[in-house]
Amino acid sequence: MSWQGHYLDGQSAQRRRATVQVAPTGLEITTDDGTTRRWPFSQIRQTQGQYAGEPVRLERGGELSEALIMPDVAFLTAVRAAATARRGRFHNPRWRLLRTPLTLAAGLAAIGLVAVLYRWGIPAAAGVATRFVPVAWEARLGDEVFARLVEPEHRCQNPERQRAIDSILARLTQAQGVGLYRLRVAVVDWPDANALALPGGQIVILKGLLEMTDSPEMLAGVLAHEVQHIVKRHTTRAIIQHASTGLMVAAIAGDVSGIVTFALEGARVVGALNYSRRAEEEADVEGMRLLLQARVDPAGMIAFFEQTLHPRERAEPNGMWRYLSTHPLSRERVAALRALARGAGPPVKLLPDRDWKDVKRICAA
Amino acid sequence: MGQDVRATWPAPSPGGITPALSNGENASVPTDDVARPPRATGSATGHRLVFHGRGWSLFGIHIVNVFLTLVTLTIFYFWAKVRGRRYVFGQTEFEGDRFTFHGRGTELLLGFIKAMVLFGIPLTALNYVPQILDASTPVTAATSLAAYALVLVLIPVARAGARRYRLSRTSWRGIHFSFRGRTAEFVRVFVVGSLLAVVTLGFYYPVFATRNHAFMMRHSYFGTAKFDFDGHGRDLLVDFLYAVLLTLPTFGFAWFWFAAAKRRYFWERTSFLGARFRSTVTGGRLLRLKLGNLLVIILTLGLGWPFAMIRTARFTCRHVMLEGALDLGAIRQHAEGATATGEGLLSLFEADLDLG
Repeated sequence: MSWQGHYLDGQSAQRRRATVQVAPTGLEITTDDGTTRRWPFSQIRQTQGQYAGEPVRLERGGELSEALIMPDVAFLTAVRAAATARRGRFHNPRWRLLRTPLTLAAGLAAIGLVAVLYRWGIPAAAGVATRFVPVAWEARLGDEVFARLVEPEHRCQNPERQRAIDSILARLTQAQGVGLYRLRVAVVDWPDANALALPGGQIVILKGLLEMTDSPEMLAGVLAHEVQHIVKRHTTRAIIQHASTGLMVAAIAGDVSGIVTFALEGARVVGALNYSRRAEEEADVEGMRLLLQARVDPAGMIAFFEQTLHPRERAEPNGMWRYLSTHPLSRERVAALRALARGAGPPVKLLPDRDWKDVKRICAA
Repeated sequence: MGQDVRATWPAPSPGGITPALSNGENASVPTDDVARPPRATGSATGHRLVFHGRGWSLFGIHIVNVFLTLVTLTIFYFWAKVRGRRYVFGQTEFEGDRFTFHGRGTELLLGFIKAMVLFGIPLTALNYVPQILDASTPVTAATSLAAYALVLVLIPVARAGARRYRLSRTSWRGIHFSFRGRTAEFVRVFVVGSLLAVVTLGFYYPVFATRNHAFMMRHSYFGTAKFDFDGHGRDLLVDFLYAVLLTLPTFGFAWFWFAAAKRRYFWERTSFLGARFRSTVTGGRLLRLKLGNLLVIILTLGLGWPFAMIRTARFTCRHVMLEGALDLGAIRQHAEGATATGEGLLSLFEADLDLG
């Protein structure tokens, strides 16, 4: 049986009508100028014709190859039948029937893979990678951030009151080994009620937060939480996770960027918030354990978080906030902390002979 | 079949994947998509591109690519790129024959690595090292200035390199395209033009764009045959001024009309073996295309970009044609080597596809 197609010689832009015979060892191509060429199967490769409607294109030779264009897909079946051992070089048209199910399967697998990577793969890989980041690098980064963030004149410097606060931190660090970390705390004269843990060991307490505390135990609760961020290396993990989700977004967006990446970037941010909430939960739980170990009264930490409950939250928890917030909902936090604090031993009072109101004036001139 | 020696060719620019001779589109009477390519000889005029690609097919390719890219922790990305381009090129037909993309994933990977090592690392170093070392302000200022200068030079290097690579890996009827412009020369054209554009507060832009385009076109070949471009930027100046003046009253939409005018002009000034390109792009059509793409992408949360890409390729093919008789009999194969470094470098600066 012979087949009709075109032959391109790879030297000129002329195409020649060709009649092709499928022989046991290869193709015999006779062009309309009467020339016959023999192509052994072993030298042929197929470069087009994998998709419906696409003509079959066979090439022979190096970069600038000769080519044979065959419009009829059935030609492939004939070639595969003759080529026996070499049939793998040619696309099997029957595969096209499988394409849709395979694509669907790949799509579902991709969705599953994204979910698994996001939920477990990336956090686990970040956890492993974090172990290889030297503490000294973290400390450097933390110092750099601290120097840029806090101008010296905003640091509250009262050596005697600072000692009282340091002693609270010392009580905590004695209860739990902190490895190579040199933990220290600074109070900054900013009105916001917030605290941060910089990688490497620097804890920053803003004046607004300090003023919200009614007892050293409340501050101890905040410190215990921040210490966990440092010891569990949450910042380093977050940086690594952010880079990893970036790669994942690149994998999904493929050959485009711009607006597509922009859309996926949104998903990435929401994902980062989730990672952040997980870190906060870990800091809460481990922080509470630390308090109990240090025999600090856990009621302080619980009371502090209760105070931070937003009026809206005290009413009804809002489903949407759960996903758009960097921190777990305070209500849930408080409930979780309460559960952990159950069965705590008798506490040892912090700073028994100090007036807490006085210590809180550390920023006063 | 049998025709032969008569053909022409325009570049497949499906969706911007191809760089090359794209930029314009149009043709005489753009009827509609089903326009059959003039089969053969007879028609001395009106050689058209026909795009056969289907959104679902490309979407399927894309989904499998995503899966493999995730499984290989992104290494497959470069092979994925090749698969997408192969499909789009293979679905673009001119005079009864399809285009072929010959690129390989390995060379794209190597090109990307080379671009990273040669340019990406020095650039990053210039940007961040002074900060890390806590250098003094003059040093930091000097290095960021150097980084800007480097980027200004690297963009044309990347564009010329990417065009060289893409054309060299594109063929039609077995004959490869090539870009033979010297990179250093394009850097000069680009840098001087950019500075002039800044100095003239942007009013030099039409000339700048036209000169860049002219350089790219005039050094493009199909086998031994050369493309020609005889446009001059001053011809676009009026359209440009209209667009500037109408920016506010039209909320910026006037720029679609300028973009269409530019594409038409660029194609109409491009010739090949005595035949001339024509484009039927209009501002309204371009606006419809872009808004439609935007909608497709937003409604599918970005995953539907293969459909947007197919729309763009179809649009491009429908609105460009080559008019006049062409004798391709004299054309011989002439291929030029190229590496994918420019391609890799370009990916640092701009997206392959601008669907915005």
